[in-house]
Amino acid sequence: MPSIDPQPLPPRGDRVRVYVTREVAFDLQKMTRVTQSILTKVGCGGCHSGRFLEFQMIEDYVINPKTLEPQEVVGAQL
Amino acid sequence: MRELGVGLVYWSDLAPLFEDVELVGVLELEPQTLWEKVVGPHGLCYRGNDALLQRVAQLPQAKLLHGVAQPVGGSADDPLEYIALWKRAVEVLDPAWVSEHLSFNRVRRGAHIEEAGFLLPPRQSPAGVANAVRNIERLSQALERPLAFETGVNYLQRRADELDDGTFFGAVAERAHCGILLDLHNLWCNERNGRQRVSEVLARLPLDQVWEIHLAGGMELDGFWLDAHSGLVPPEVVDLAAGIIPLLPNLGALIFEILPEHLPRIGVDAVHRQLDVLHALWRLRSSRRVVARDARAPQGLESCGLGNAEQHDDVEAWETALGEALRGRTVRDARFADLRDDPGVAVLHQLIGDARRSSLARVLRYTTTLLLIHLGPNEVRALLDAYFREQAPDPFTALEADYFARFLRSRAELVEHLPYLAETLAFEDALVRATVYGTATDLAWSTDPTALFAELENGRAPVGLPSVHSAMRVCAE
Repeated sequence: MPSIDPQPLPPRGDRVRVYVTREVAFDLQKMTRVTQSILTKVGCGGCHSGRFLEFQMIEDYVINPKTLEPQEVVGAQL
Repeated sequence: MRELGVGLVYWSDLAPLFEDVELVGVLELEPQTLWEKVVGPHGLCYRGNDALLQRVAQLPQAKLLHGVAQPVGGSADDPLEYIALWKRAVEVLDPAWVSEHLSFNRVRRGAHIEEAGFLLPPRQSPAGVANAVRNIERLSQALERPLAFETGVNYLQRRADELDDGTFFGAVAERAHCGILLDLHNLWCNERNGRQRVSEVLARLPLDQVWEIHLAGGMELDGFWLDAHSGLVPPEVVDLAAGIIPLLPNLGALIFEILPEHLPRIGVDAVHRQLDVLHALWRLRSSRRVVARDARAPQGLESCGLGNAEQHDDVEAWETALGEALRGRTVRDARFADLRDDPGVAVLHQLIGDARRSSLARVLRYTTTLLLIHLGPNEVRALLDAYFREQAPDPFTALEADYFARFLRSRAELVEHLPYLAETLAFEDALVRATVYGTATDLAWSTDPTALFAELENGRAPVGLPSVHSAMRVCAE
């Protein structure tokens, strides 16, 4: 890829970079935020002996593509 | 033990609270939350984030270290070297003592050691005591710091072939000459879920060895009360703390545990008020020395026969059996075959599944969302269950995500037929692989990835997105 724009990714900017071609048509700042968001979550989670809720939160948020209506809420047992 | 005061487990989301040193006098760090698991010259290894560690060190509070990944209750040690990173954290933060869980989280399977995916209750037997004492002495010596073990939560039913909770904790503390991190919410969970009463547990502890108390809130699941760190401390647990604190002559810290994801629901002000309650509890400390060491701690241990204390296979057999029960395999050891009928096993199975699904949702967020949109929750859960049966868990989310990405790629019919799944998975896994393995990946997009992710952020199927072809390289530096 001869023509690239580096996208540093703090806080692990020393580790991972994403390069795209110069003529790319999408919003680079948005892309950087997406990659930052993922890269800050790759470590070890904290300690507790209860439920981890991230999956349920996504599950609850997904909308049926055929009807565009929210799916039945599943898993929110707080 | 040095008196440090009232404190809070550190999360960057709670940073505003750490600005007030009168409110939060102690910062407790779970060191492994600053670690990654990556591939180095000799295979997998841990890598610490020294910059973040230094940033934590700059905060004005006294520091404590509380381990969450190398518990002292098991027979299978972490196969990866971890002492150097622990020692680095000790060197930078200079804690008066360190703590770890009296649990196990790894199971030996043939020549391999598998992660269990959760902190699990240890074998409460004379052999279990001896095993824990060895681990505590070894870790404390390696770190050159006094070590306290945490009294753990246990969702299993009481067993006739085990020491009661208080006797087990007391015997470990007495024999290891270590500290006790008295987690009152854990003990209260245990009592609510059918195990020993908190008062009976406390009666069997050498109270002068309690250096630290943890207080937390929880939630209910299928009739069980969970130690979820999801809310404020229940009034009953506050009452327990008020009753025991005056009897603890060497109490050094009183720590509130809450996970940052619950903060928006609870609010920073409520956490502030909770810490005020902890300060009121802290003032209940007795100024006089209490003679708390008495002959109560070893009760029951002698009756089980100290001669059994070296039966290492008793501990390993328990860990293997519980591991088998939790993975849905046949429990081969007849002594523990009844584990399959223990309702606590079903709860642990659910919690481990939740943790694994959440790890994947955290790192492979867009892949997970796409799967849910296209397949629906039931089919996705079935897919994840198939993956869980095939692959042991890993507490480091990047590794778990990479293993699942491999699993998905092996199902080409799925990846190739669901719109945008192949490129979304390739992108998220490329970030993971750059982090873990240091590998570079070239990607091709057929649409604007930010438009694709915006649709997924809204929980919507990406339909009618413009065709925009671009190339991307994700690489490690």
